[in-house]
Amino acid sequence: MQPPDPWGFDDAPVETWASILAPQYLDLAILAAFFILALVSFKRKSVPLKFVTFAAAIGYMGFAKSYLISITNIFSVLDWNWPIFRYNLAWYLFFGFTVVSTILWGRLYCGRICAYGALTQTLDAILPAAWRVNVPRPIEKRASLIKFGVLAGVIAYYLVTHNLLIYQYTEPFWMFGMFGTPIMWTLLAILLTATLFVRNLYCRFLCPVGATLGLISYATVFRIKRWSECNTCRLCEKTCQWGAIEGPKILVTECVRCDDCERLYLDTQKCPHWRIIEYNERKLRILPLQPIR
Amino acid sequence: MKKFSVLFLALVMAGIVTLSAQARRVFTNPRPEPYFKSLFPNAGGFSTFGGTPLHYKVYDVDPKVNPSAPPVGYIFWTTDVMPNDFGYHGPVHFLVGMDTHGIIQGVVMDYNSEPYGYFSVDPPKFVEQFKNKSVRDPFQLGKDIAAVSRASITMNHAARVLRDATRTMAKTFLNPADLK
Repeated sequence: MQPPDPWGFDDAPVETWASILAPQYLDLAILAAFFILALVSFKRKSVPLKFVTFAAAIGYMGFAKSYLISITNIFSVLDWNWPIFRYNLAWYLFFGFTVVSTILWGRLYCGRICAYGALTQTLDAILPAAWRVNVPRPIEKRASLIKFGVLAGVIAYYLVTHNLLIYQYTEPFWMFGMFGTPIMWTLLAILLTATLFVRNLYCRFLCPVGATLGLISYATVFRIKRWSECNTCRLCEKTCQWGAIEGPKILVTECVRCDDCERLYLDTQKCPHWRIIEYNERKLRILPLQPIR
Repeated sequence: MKKFSVLFLALVMAGIVTLSAQARRVFTNPRPEPYFKSLFPNAGGFSTFGGTPLHYKVYDVDPKVNPSAPPVGYIFWTTDVMPNDFGYHGPVHFLVGMDTHGIIQGVVMDYNSEPYGYFSVDPPKFVEQFKNKSVRDPFQLGKDIAAVSRASITMNHAARVLRDATRTMAKTFLNPADLK
């Protein structure tokens, strides 16, 4: 029989996993459900499900929880400074999912999980197409390199100054916290205004997190398959809103697995691969093969 | 000459031991004294920094005048008492003043590198809510501590280290019968 605790503190004298998990169950469950939704929408190539995922990303991951991978997480990797694992299981699930999904499929995080990416893609779907300014391909190609410059510059700045608040001026993700200085809000307003006309402007050209995930994507296991007809066909290249297709090649640093090209591959009415097969089959029906005598 | 060499060697060894011990300690503001009067405005004097966990003792009268006077409170860094607890990006450095009844007299947020610190633990109203709290209080976000959504890792860390550090100090230096 233990003597009564004279201190009478309400916390458990010895932490157990049950006591650690109790306040985290709900968050873990919602996060897991969100990831399942994102993966189902990705695997089924379903446009309606993709927009449901975007709504959840903006509402829950963004405004409710501010779960966004930030340049500050790259700083954490650099100086190996992490939150306590047992108290922040949901955050580790989020971070782990981002890294693992990038290795498996590429920048899936950018295309489906990131609240800011979901917001700009939703804007792009809502806004009139007539507003869009299509960036000429040579400019787009060069502009996509800016994000790597931003990444290098921000990391260099951090290594010299150790001031991680630089993130406030290099990424707009703080907006989901709704706390900003007038300068931050002004810069955000400029960025969002520009995004009305240039689709996914920040994600394609400026995001240092996207640049980092793009570099990790060189290790991607399950890449998008290409037909032999892709060597000459330019249909997907023209459709890709991320500038991620260049002839037969998919640029892994730019591709966010938005599914636009993969849906085209599956479209037997549009993709030349299927059209050629259908044409050959029809030809065989009209002109049946005769045995050679 | 031989004695001098031994003394020199002993000093070097002591220096190495001290430096290695300091390397394990989270580096905090080395001059926190200007904060002391805000934590204990009526204090007559303070001890030097020492003890386990590291702390300053607070006295009603200058300990040089009355060396036998008991302390009326303690001032300590949460990073010294809970060195292995981290927020989103390292520990938040809180300087805490607690009296001998386990009542927090004040908290100073001296430094943090939290990305969302500017709207969670930086505003003075965050530390103000800990003034006059007892170590017996629950220190739970959303209950007796105002929660700030979207900065939950930082806020949970802050509430946790303030609760655990004050309770550890209370268990080490106070008498449970004296707690209020």
